[in-house]
Amino acid sequence: MIKKYRDLSLQGKMTLVYAFASALILIVNATLLWSINSVLSRLEATYQDNLNLNELSQSLDDVQNSMTEYLNVKTTDALEKYYISDEVYRNKIYMLDDSVSSDVNLRMERNIRYMSIEYLDTVSQTIEAKRGRNVEKYRIRYENATELYTYISSYIDSLNSQMFVSNSENFVNLSKGLRTTESISLTVMIIVIITNIFAILRYATQITKPLQILAKSANEVANGNLDIPLTEPAYNDEVGVVTSAFNQMVKSIRNYIERIKESMDNERKHKERELMMETHLKDAQIKYLQAQINPHFLFNSLNAGAQLSMLEGADNTYDYIQNMSQFFRYNLKNADKIITLGEEVKQIDHYIYILNVRFSGEIHFEKDIDEKLLNAQMPSMILQPIVENCVNHGIREMEGKGVIKLKISKLLDTICISIKDNGKGMSQEKIDEILNGTYRDNGLSMDSNGIGMVNVINRLRLFLKTDDVISINSEGEDKGTEVLIYLPIDDEGEDYV
Amino acid sequence: MKRDEMEKRQFFLVAYVVIVLLTAIAGLSFVTSYFGKGSQISKPTTYDKYYVIITDNHDSDFWQAVYEGASDYGLANNVYVEDLAASFSDSYTKEELMSIAIASRVDGIMLSADESEEMTSLINEAVSKNIPVITLYNDSSSSKRISYVGVGNYNVGKEYGKQAISIAKGLSTTEDFDVVVLVSSSPTSSQMMIYSGIQETMEQDDLSTRLNLNTVKIDDTNTFTIEESIRDLFMDENVPDIIICLNELDTTCVYQAVVDYNKVGEVGILGFYDSEAILTGIDKNIINSTIRIDTKQMGEYCVDALLEYDKKGFTSEYFAVDIEVITVTNVRSHMEVEDD
Repeated sequence: MIKKYRDLSLQGKMTLVYAFASALILIVNATLLWSINSVLSRLEATYQDNLNLNELSQSLDDVQNSMTEYLNVKTTDALEKYYISDEVYRNKIYMLDDSVSSDVNLRMERNIRYMSIEYLDTVSQTIEAKRGRNVEKYRIRYENATELYTYISSYIDSLNSQMFVSNSENFVNLSKGLRTTESISLTVMIIVIITNIFAILRYATQITKPLQILAKSANEVANGNLDIPLTEPAYNDEVGVVTSAFNQMVKSIRNYIERIKESMDNERKHKERELMMETHLKDAQIKYLQAQINPHFLFNSLNAGAQLSMLEGADNTYDYIQNMSQFFRYNLKNADKIITLGEEVKQIDHYIYILNVRFSGEIHFEKDIDEKLLNAQMPSMILQPIVENCVNHGIREMEGKGVIKLKISKLLDTICISIKDNGKGMSQEKIDEILNGTYRDNGLSMDSNGIGMVNVINRLRLFLKTDDVISINSEGEDKGTEVLIYLPIDDEGEDYV
Repeated sequence: MKRDEMEKRQFFLVAYVVIVLLTAIAGLSFVTSYFGKGSQISKPTTYDKYYVIITDNHDSDFWQAVYEGASDYGLANNVYVEDLAASFSDSYTKEELMSIAIASRVDGIMLSADESEEMTSLINEAVSKNIPVITLYNDSSSSKRISYVGVGNYNVGKEYGKQAISIAKGLSTTEDFDVVVLVSSSPTSSQMMIYSGIQETMEQDDLSTRLNLNTVKIDDTNTFTIEESIRDLFMDENVPDIIICLNELDTTCVYQAVVDYNKVGEVGILGFYDSEAILTGIDKNIINSTIRIDTKQMGEYCVDALLEYDKKGFTSEYFAVDIEVITVTNVRSHMEVEDD
């Protein structure tokens, strides 16, 4: 039943609640009315006994009168009247109770009944005697009948007054009862109506409450709060349908947001992983290199070699080993340190010397340096990788004599460091790739110290906190490349902080 | 919907219906119980036999007591005994009541009769119509009544005689004693029997020459004349020394008159019946003694006689009821009984 109620429409529900309440009131009302009615009908019947007795008395009078009339005038009319009244009275007295009862009224009825039978017999004997013209006989009978008539009348009167007394008591009681019934009915109706009002209020709240909850939820969602508790619809009515739809909508929105978050997360994770992989690769390369050459060992070995060559008097060899030693020492010592521009230039000198020994003086290195600027500070291992780049990608693959020019000059309030080669040059795409940081070396070349152009550029940019630190110029195929680095000069002139 | 909420809702619905129904049922049951009281009374019991009792004076304590004895005994034997005079608003004579009883075709009549011809013929008429008649206390000896229930009047007379003599002996006077017996204007046979009992007892005593026994007729043709004729006794110069009363009313009237005329101690009263007033008179030494008749037994004998006649077609002609003399020595025990 409750499931059916839940499935009802709003209209149906309201109608049902109203109809139920009305039906209850109707039933209660009908029963109360019925009880009042039964009291009323009893009230109406109260004096019925007295009325019946009066009729009985009237019939008795009719018999007596018609007999007297017949005795007086002896007409057939009077005789007929007598017969009729006799019949009527006889029928009436046979309705009377004839039991010996403890109820005095019923006992009186019994006595009236038997006396009346006796009386009617006497009357009929009187009539007979009159017809037989037996004057003496009918006179005595008439007296007997009249005596009985008096007794019966008296009996009926006594019964009547006795009944009247008890009926009056009944009447008063019934009247009181009627008043009580009325007030009880009123009380019952009031209680029922009050209960009904409470019940209807409650059911109305039940019907409208989901609507209120829905409105509140909708407001929350409208204000951007999707984290609201979703209440399941209690009923399958219109409000229930709307609530379900709303819940579905909120769930869909939540799902959608969840999916977007997830895909973003995945992308981030993917990038992180790539980055990690690169880092790990670098790490691996470094570890590889470190494993290959223990720098200290190498450095010490080189020093030993230098001493040996000095003892043997091989001056060139000594210089070479000494330069190599200095070169590696610099790399070892100055990784991730801030050093002076002069130290960087020295490192280039060592590098060129080593290369010229290796490549039989093929590289021609020219320096044009403003000595005042050599105290400017900068990150280590910037210039050497650029020169290395010039050698590896510019000069090595060309024919003829390679020239590298280093020029350090003051340009307005910046230090301009120019490294120029006469190598095979660079395409503009490659330059752009290097500057954008998207250029990738295809593995470290055998002669590299492991630091690429991109790395150099990035470190410079990070150090100076600006992108505008380097430019690469190449006029085309076989026309060489020029790398320009700009270091700002602070107010004191040479020193850069 | 949550389970507990559902249960709550169901509970509420049930509670609602229960409240409404309970209120309605309570209201209805109150109304029905209110009106049910009347209908319970209207379920009277019915009886096999219907006897009526017709007495001289249905208001007197004596006859009431007789009636109660008969009625109680009758109800126990499925017989309803009715005091016929009580059911009429008019007052009727015994003869009229007899006619009514005959016409009403009752199953038996208990009658305090007299020796008049009219009464005798009424009794005979009843018997001829198969209604048995028992005479009670006052007989109609020449009628066809089936039985007589009464006291041994001669014995009662002897008791009165003894009492009168003892009173006379208690007084140290040498003058004659006037002893009067109050009888009705047409004395009944039982009154005459009592009188002769008194007379014989007195004659046998030594004092008989000084005792003047007489009867005084009390006019009882009308309800109020009895009291007047008794007062007349005291208006005379010669107020009797001892007054013997043969019924309850006479006793009460004489008792009151003695007090009113300041004759207490001068006039001895021998009463009849043991009503509260008479017992008080004895206790105060105003009434010398009274005759107590076992009224309950009298009533029971009547019903018993009628039942026996109905069953066997005959019964004993005479039932003697026990009597007892109450004097100042034993009055207390009777008063206590009355109090109970």
